[in-house]
Amino acid sequence: MTPAPDADAIVIGAGPAGMSCAIDLASAGCRVIVLDMQPTPGGQIFRALEANTIARPQTDELLQALGQSYRAGLALIERFRATPGIDFRPGTTVWDLRADGTVGWLKGNAAGYLRAPHVALASGAMERPTPFPGWTLPGVMTAGAVQTLLKAGRLKPEGRIVLAGTGPLIFLLADQLRRLGGRPVLIARTDRLKDKLFALGQLRPAGIPALLKGLVWLARLRLAGIPMRTGISGLQALGRDRLESVRLVAGERTVDLPCDLLVVHDGIVPSTDLAHAAGLVLEWRTDDASWRPRTAADGRAEMAPGPSLTTGPCRIWITGDARRIGGADAAVVHGSHAASAILAELGRVTGEPNGADRTDIAVKRSLAARPFLDAAFPPGLAAQLPDDEAIACRCEDITVGSLRMAIRSGATDMNLVRGLLRCGMGPCQGRNCSATLARLLAEAEPEKPLSSNPFRARPPLRPIPLGALAGMTGLDPDLAQVESLDDKPEAIAGDDIHA
Amino acid sequence: MFAPIGSTEATITIYLDGRPIPARAGETIAACLLRAGVSHFRTTPASGAKRLPYCMIGHCFDCLIEIDGIGSRQACLSPVEDNMTLRIQNGAATIPGVETQ
Repeated sequence: MTPAPDADAIVIGAGPAGMSCAIDLASAGCRVIVLDMQPTPGGQIFRALEANTIARPQTDELLQALGQSYRAGLALIERFRATPGIDFRPGTTVWDLRADGTVGWLKGNAAGYLRAPHVALASGAMERPTPFPGWTLPGVMTAGAVQTLLKAGRLKPEGRIVLAGTGPLIFLLADQLRRLGGRPVLIARTDRLKDKLFALGQLRPAGIPALLKGLVWLARLRLAGIPMRTGISGLQALGRDRLESVRLVAGERTVDLPCDLLVVHDGIVPSTDLAHAAGLVLEWRTDDASWRPRTAADGRAEMAPGPSLTTGPCRIWITGDARRIGGADAAVVHGSHAASAILAELGRVTGEPNGADRTDIAVKRSLAARPFLDAAFPPGLAAQLPDDEAIACRCEDITVGSLRMAIRSGATDMNLVRGLLRCGMGPCQGRNCSATLARLLAEAEPEKPLSSNPFRARPPLRPIPLGALAGMTGLDPDLAQVESLDDKPEAIAGDDIHA
Repeated sequence: MFAPIGSTEATITIYLDGRPIPARAGETIAACLLRAGVSHFRTTPASGAKRLPYCMIGHCFDCLIEIDGIGSRQACLSPVEDNMTLRIQNGAATIPGVETQ
């Protein structure tokens, strides 16, 4: 007998989407457990917002620099905190997710399983992996990392800073640094004027605020005299034990700039590690060089065909940037939309009889600016695969060249390459290299349909202490029985397809 | 590479390879060590290359460090605690009492 559910729903991630989904579910009377890795709610976008607000006036300068869009998150966090029925468990890592609604968690040295008839996966996004020569050197960081250091570390970068890549976050970050008295040596953009002209064709009225915001950032940066180049390519980070200089091609000329901190950003992509491990369908998007989960408009996920570790219907919904990149406002709206779909399944329809599906219109509206933004800032650093000397797998120091060689020798499958070279077997478990390897495989055989999946994933997806594993709670007594070692899904299926 | 915005409010102390470093309650180990100007948190097991945090949100695992005797912990996800002892991790994590090659 399967253990009783621990809640009506489990929400993974307390960012904008997760908070919004949990608030709506709990407001309708559901018992909701919310798990998040961080000590406080907010997600990466509103990271440490509560603490920075409490610490005023010491943090006034920081809050001023981070701007209105950061401070605006407080209202949502306060509603999340004030809603009865939400059991918020911060500092909790999720290391297993199964389509039947089972969630493996770790907090400190305690671990266990939780179950619910519905799981909302709101684990957000990650920076698009952008391998280039030297990207592993100390002194090279993502724009998201610098933002985290601003928000949660109350730290600002100093010295000679180069920002390279594309996307609104580059401008936002540059403007925040400017407000903190910083002055980047160069903003090296991969996007070009022609991208902007093309993007204008995608502009809908709903995208105008985003356009204006961008123009204001640009004007401020120009006014501050921060040098900016567009259409750069060939980015390299040079140095022995740490970053010493940056090399790039701007206007057919190779430029070398002495540099202390290189901040890179090439847009963000859905974080798919949990969805993939749960055996859900992922779709490879060639233009975006990334995977995203296949979901219905309301976030309902779909199980991949083939052997599975679970039985029964898929109980997972994916919302916010983990489903589709749209930013915080769109995530809040979609979290609500997913919540109303879950409530309908639970037989707890809220609002007026005909008001239930208002949230889908709101979702469409919230994403209306995306076609413009996607066209204006196409992937740049990841637009072309790097030369052989660049490292693809950061954990195991495996170069693009050795991956190409393995592929040429006949290793034409993600898992085979992993087995041969350990690419994706290091601590990050392929989070940084799987998209690069998928693209290298496609480069070698352009006509072959791309493998629809990253490396095969198995729990635990994140490190878990043996002591915690030994003392796990919430085990299913039936599944905890080891009858034989022949019950692995591969043995049942008799082949090597994704399980 | 990084400087505090406003006062650091460092009220606790952590130790890196025996060296005391002032820390602010609530910050991550990674933020604290970057402020202190630490040159690298670890070296890779494959080539011995030095690494500092890259993503700061728990994806890249380049911030791995030894915390209170346990190796390969993510410094960007771990909050500082008073008297915590850290060691720069050279290569693969070691397990106390276990010989590895």
